[in-house]
Amino acid sequence: MSGLSRASRFVWFARSKNRKAGRMKFSTYILKRILTWAVTIWIGVTIIFFIPRMFPSDPIENMLGQIEARSGSMDPVAKEAMRQQLKIQFGLDGSLLEQYGTFLWRGLFHFDFGPSLMNYPSPAGEIISTYLPYTVGLSGISTILAWLIGNFIGLLAGFRSKAKSSKILEAIAIFIYPIPYFIVALILQIVFAFLLGWFPLTTTINSFNGTAVFIQSLIKASILPGISMLLIGTGWWIISMKSLSASTAEEDFVQYARWRGLSEGRIGGTYVLRNSILTQVTALALSIGGVFSGSIMTEIIFGYPGVGTLIQKAILQSDYNMILGCITISIVAIATLTLIVDVIYPFIDPRIRYS
Amino acid sequence: MKKKILSVLLAAAMVSGTIAGCGNSGSTGTTGTDSGSGAEETTTDSGSTETADSTSDEGEKEEAKPAASGQMTEVGTPREETLIVETQTPTDVPGQFNTYMQGTQAGFGIHQLMSAMLWEMDTVKGEQYGEVADGMPEQNEDYTEHTVHIRQGINWSDGEPLTAKDVAFTFNMIMNNDAIGASTYYNSVFESVEATDDYTVVLKTKEPFPRLAQKFGVTIWGNDMRVVPEHIYSQVEDVSTFKDENPVVAGPYTVKSYDPLGKWILYERREDWDHSTTGVVTGKEPAAKYVWFRYLGDDTTRQMAMVNNEVDILCEVTPEILTSMIAQNPNIAAWYDQFPYATSDDPCSKGLAFSMGKGAPYDNKDFRWGIALAMNFDEISTNIFDGIGRASAWPILTGTSAMMDLYYKPMEDWLESFELDLGDGTTVKPWDPDYAERMGENLRNQGYDIPTDHDQLIDMFGTGCWRYDPEAATKLLQKAGLELKDGKWYFGGEEFVCNLTYIADTEAQAGRGTQAAYDQLKKFGLNVTIASESSATWDANGSTGNYDIAGYWPTGGITRDLYTVIQGYDADLIVPTGENAKGQGCRWNNKEATDIIHKLAQISPDSDESYELCTEFMKIAIEDLPFIGFHSGIKFVPTNSTYWTNYPSSQNPYNGPWWWWSCFKYIVNELQPVA
Repeated sequence: MSGLSRASRFVWFARSKNRKAGRMKFSTYILKRILTWAVTIWIGVTIIFFIPRMFPSDPIENMLGQIEARSGSMDPVAKEAMRQQLKIQFGLDGSLLEQYGTFLWRGLFHFDFGPSLMNYPSPAGEIISTYLPYTVGLSGISTILAWLIGNFIGLLAGFRSKAKSSKILEAIAIFIYPIPYFIVALILQIVFAFLLGWFPLTTTINSFNGTAVFIQSLIKASILPGISMLLIGTGWWIISMKSLSASTAEEDFVQYARWRGLSEGRIGGTYVLRNSILTQVTALALSIGGVFSGSIMTEIIFGYPGVGTLIQKAILQSDYNMILGCITISIVAIATLTLIVDVIYPFIDPRIRYS
Repeated sequence: MKKKILSVLLAAAMVSGTIAGCGNSGSTGTTGTDSGSGAEETTTDSGSTETADSTSDEGEKEEAKPAASGQMTEVGTPREETLIVETQTPTDVPGQFNTYMQGTQAGFGIHQLMSAMLWEMDTVKGEQYGEVADGMPEQNEDYTEHTVHIRQGINWSDGEPLTAKDVAFTFNMIMNNDAIGASTYYNSVFESVEATDDYTVVLKTKEPFPRLAQKFGVTIWGNDMRVVPEHIYSQVEDVSTFKDENPVVAGPYTVKSYDPLGKWILYERREDWDHSTTGVVTGKEPAAKYVWFRYLGDDTTRQMAMVNNEVDILCEVTPEILTSMIAQNPNIAAWYDQFPYATSDDPCSKGLAFSMGKGAPYDNKDFRWGIALAMNFDEISTNIFDGIGRASAWPILTGTSAMMDLYYKPMEDWLESFELDLGDGTTVKPWDPDYAERMGENLRNQGYDIPTDHDQLIDMFGTGCWRYDPEAATKLLQKAGLELKDGKWYFGGEEFVCNLTYIADTEAQAGRGTQAAYDQLKKFGLNVTIASESSATWDANGSTGNYDIAGYWPTGGITRDLYTVIQGYDADLIVPTGENAKGQGCRWNNKEATDIIHKLAQISPDSDESYELCTEFMKIAIEDLPFIGFHSGIKFVPTNSTYWTNYPSSQNPYNGPWWWWSCFKYIVNELQPVA
């Protein structure tokens, strides 16, 4: 240090101060974002804790009702005895605040949501963990593929809007996108499963005859649901990316790059894509977060296992713990992915700073 | 650009049309269900013939195609050895076969194929018989000591004999384990349960308990008392959390494999089937080596799977779905092989229940009778299932075949002379015995092949319904305190508004019936509204009495003794509206009826006195009308005879088509392979 000139020492000091200030800004930013993340999750799960308890239904009466609906009227003494017994077993005899406190401690900090009331005493978390991998696998892969394909086609359609191939791909996207998802899914099911018989009508995963048979049956069962989600998902990404890239392509800096003689490929990949992709990255994070809530239509039409139908059943049967479990995971996933995107934004777009 | 988009759309539509046009043969080329061509008819063992030329409204059917050999199911079993049965809901707890652990879905084949019941049900005769028990219980004079003999020769699937010790152990296990739902009730009933020797159990009850077999044996769907093997369950630390993934059972099938995601269970016939419950009771070997219970999903998928022969038995569909399937695959049939298709023997009649705990006017019998006579049942019936179904107008007691013979027909004379006082010095006879003849003629006029024989018509459409008499209905409502001014009805000085509730996500019959009732009451001039509720919401509202009139089914009736059906109507059980009901949520408060229920509790269900009291109860119930019945449970339960035949049907009624009941194991025994 002593060998440095005054000017050099000043530059070093200034840079060091800037780095320190940068680190301070970064850590303050991260702290603020983490705090926002925690508050978001707390507000979300608090709402989702209280809302099901305002339903005009009761898990115990629902269970008794189901017994009576299938096997006729219960003996009144047996019915009352079971009602009292279930109230204690389900933990619904404590005050609402006590239940809330227990949930925050167990559910939020330990991901222990208690027993599923519709499948008592099996833990809700255990049931969710059985179905979640299938939901995340199918929806996650199809969401990412749709994002990649959609953005690629959208970029071509926006950046090279006069090319014939771009027009055809855009026309396909415009044609498919407005079709309701269930129509696309039903058409695929009717044509490829019912009429042609290439795929199973409903998901049957065979896990008892070895890994190879399991993987084969899983892939076979996942193709139609995956394609249906891909088709619908891709349309939106194409349309949105086309719009973004078309407006970016008209920017001065893109024209300047052309005048500089850069190749169209480089302009598209470096200048247009990088400036158009930001919004898409945020949307992708939200879409991936949403994956954890399941895709109820896909699960119903193709009989695909997943948390979507689990949530639906839990709502219909007032299974508070199951609702809390599924939705808490979804809230945490969306909030966390949004946090990650916020943190990595400056790496994608150098114009953005942690301030 | 617009032209280009239009041409793309047209091209897509043409491609879709071409594909759809080519795809009429739904029974081709799907996994494990491929059908060849050949024979034009499939003959069942019972001699009934399902011909290819039977027609439906939807046009000409395809020819019936026989089963193709060599096909494999998706779970790796030979198709011709596998009976595929639909289960109504998937399970969230796969691998859980212990029915004493809550959440276990007994209806997923567990109680249909594996469970051992003390007494089973002959659904045609309406009589119980011993399954694990050797005959009905022997009881002392005051019904506090009950001796149950156990059948000899039944073995558990691991080879151990099923004895009285298993039965006594099961009762005691329930009583000693608070976490089992029925524990408190069992403790309130039994003083002790002991095995006095290998094949005798003595049960002592705290109070006289004449209906042991009815309470702890099957009367309708099944019974939660299922005998478990002592040598397995006595080793378990906590039976209420023991999943029993490899169940040892007394029924004719055991679990071969199951889907860890809960969508299917594959059962395999026991090698020692002759030592299973059904083997010992009937001596018959079930022909199906495998029974695959699978969940199919939504109605569209169920329909396509049935047409493609990927399932042999569905639980229940609407008539529209059934006729559509029959038009595409002639091997599909229901109880009748043509119109009216459905069986009317499900013991849960649908109709309108009143929330009588709400007070006036719902607690007034004149009001309820006014509502009954304000509706044209012919139109209601047509609106529900095009006139299909047996009228079951009585409150509480469903008009099943057995109940028709035991109660409906013997009480015909009393019904025809029964009169209502209209409050102005006049009376009306509300019973309309001509419904069957009238509906038969209406349907014949529409081109349906309806018999003219009176008895057949009665079997098809019931003994009668409540008369449509708007004038009498007006007088009855006025007698109940309602006022008619300028075409509007008032009660207590305010316009009378009444809401009809029905359950949205179950039983199309009940929902359509309520909608039809709404139309009728609106036409009559009442200001009614209609709302649907999820079953979860209804279960709470039905119990607390939070409704006006509901399309529901607090009904039953399959055995001669009606105590188990009517005991919930004991007025002593009534709690204020808003609290969860101990008995029936409709809160019918009738002292005479309550006295009969109390008397019945003390006497043998097999006695003549019981029958007389039940008859008397029904007269009181009809006079008071706490419930307006529409039809008995109408069930369109389709079967597919491509791979299996000899399903129970109207021509071969050895059992009801109750695939979801525990008696299914006796139906499986009768099925025969086509190949």
